[in-house]
Amino acid sequence: MKEVELDCLGEACPIPLVKAENKLKEMEIGDVLIVQIDHSCAMKNVPEWARKEGHNVEIEEIDDGEWEIIIEKVK
Amino acid sequence: MDEQKSTGIQRSSTHTRRTRKKKKNQLPFGIAVVLLAVMFGILLGHKNPGMPIFWITGLAFGYILQRSRFCFTASMRDPFLTGSTSLTRTVLTAFAITTIGFAAIKYGAYVKGLPIPGQSYVVPVSLATAAGAFMFGVGMVIAGGCASGTLMRVGEGFSMQIISLFFFIVGSLWGAHDFGWWKLNVILKGKAIFLPDIFGWIGAVIIQLLIIALLWIAADKWENRKNLA
Amino acid sequence: MDIKKNKYYKLWIKDAWPYITGAVLLSLFQIVTLATTGNPWGVSGILANWGAWLYETAGGSVDKWYYFSSEGARRTLENGFMNHGGSLRNLGIIIGALAATLLSSGFKFKKIKSWKQIIAATLGGLLMGYGARIGFGCNIGALFSGIASLSLSGWVYALFLFLGAIIGSKLLVKYFM
Repeated sequence: MKEVELDCLGEACPIPLVKAENKLKEMEIGDVLIVQIDHSCAMKNVPEWARKEGHNVEIEEIDDGEWEIIIEKVK
Repeated sequence: MDEQKSTGIQRSSTHTRRTRKKKKNQLPFGIAVVLLAVMFGILLGHKNPGMPIFWITGLAFGYILQRSRFCFTASMRDPFLTGSTSLTRTVLTAFAITTIGFAAIKYGAYVKGLPIPGQSYVVPVSLATAAGAFMFGVGMVIAGGCASGTLMRVGEGFSMQIISLFFFIVGSLWGAHDFGWWKLNVILKGKAIFLPDIFGWIGAVIIQLLIIALLWIAADKWENRKNLA
Repeated sequence: MDIKKNKYYKLWIKDAWPYITGAVLLSLFQIVTLATTGNPWGVSGILANWGAWLYETAGGSVDKWYYFSSEGARRTLENGFMNHGGSLRNLGIIIGALAATLLSSGFKFKKIKSWKQIIAATLGGLLMGYGARIGFGCNIGALFSGIASLSLSGWVYALFLFLGAIIGSKLLVKYFM
């Protein structure tokens, strides 16, 4: 089980989502992807996409205007 | 809303123990901005009574756009890029609501024999519409936001969008400079078409709502098609 | 009492609203805009005025330009920013978004990350600015207000906007990521 961090700080939509999508494809089932974002729209569309794909998702507020989206690949 | 709901994802200890900066509370600054905005609105009203309504609606649009993360750019981009149509469908819903509201206001003026408001937004359809919309579509995706989205992101603190706002202004000036040529050679060949002139008031509203509904269904099917694949 | 734990603070100010809430409220204010000002909401046409003001400040002149030749356009330019409703509304969007982020304690100044971002913002901004002028507006003025106004132009705009967004997405993934 791996844990991968993806730095998307300072990136605007849709880059965080596309990067997360590409990264997750390379990963194994059970791995955890942590996407770091500071774009309030990505904080909504990245989790929405990941849940739709059926993965486990958590959002954590790290700092003012900074979030981590934790995605566990389940399939 | 999601922070408390733990799905029990196991995280390695190195990550969770990362030192966290202490969060500052920005709420007082927010309240200060609101108070200053109210004071500015009152001053505007003293100078020119027509202005506060613009100021208030602007603040409302900015607040709503930011809170709901509503994004016209994403509504056009995501069906292709990510296969998600949730924003596309909400934009269509907004079209449906405003179609009814606008038709009511316009029809109200029409039956009273008054000039119909907002008819300057019924503009000629020409190759310039196609070219302009296409350029706009490319631009908004690579810049990460359309006009309203760029303004909203400037308020959110994106320096990238300050640059795109500046060049948006430069591009507008450029377009305004060339506008005479476009008007003479392209736009004058087109015709402004107000749907009620063709289908009647009721007909136009019904046809437009039907088109919106069909697009909504298509967007929904598109999303699920991608899901199954 | 800690306001940050307050249920209504979280619901209305802290957490993101559902998209549909945004759609309904934006539509409401769009209708309010038409009813009170006699015109629908527009954003990008106003930016051409900002451009003219900047250009004149820098010593240029738009007197001979067809775009600014109508009496109304001239008067708007002469009256200045503080008497131009559209300019104040655009400024309001920025301030409203700033207030929203601060009230939710989510403001962060985001620095430029790479050259790619500068190029993307420059190109994108120019394309949007020019396109909006010849296409009679942006996603708000030409698309949202155009369709709401029962104008065929809104639908034609939507179709080509969508095609542009597809090409834009391809360019973005290829060159700007």
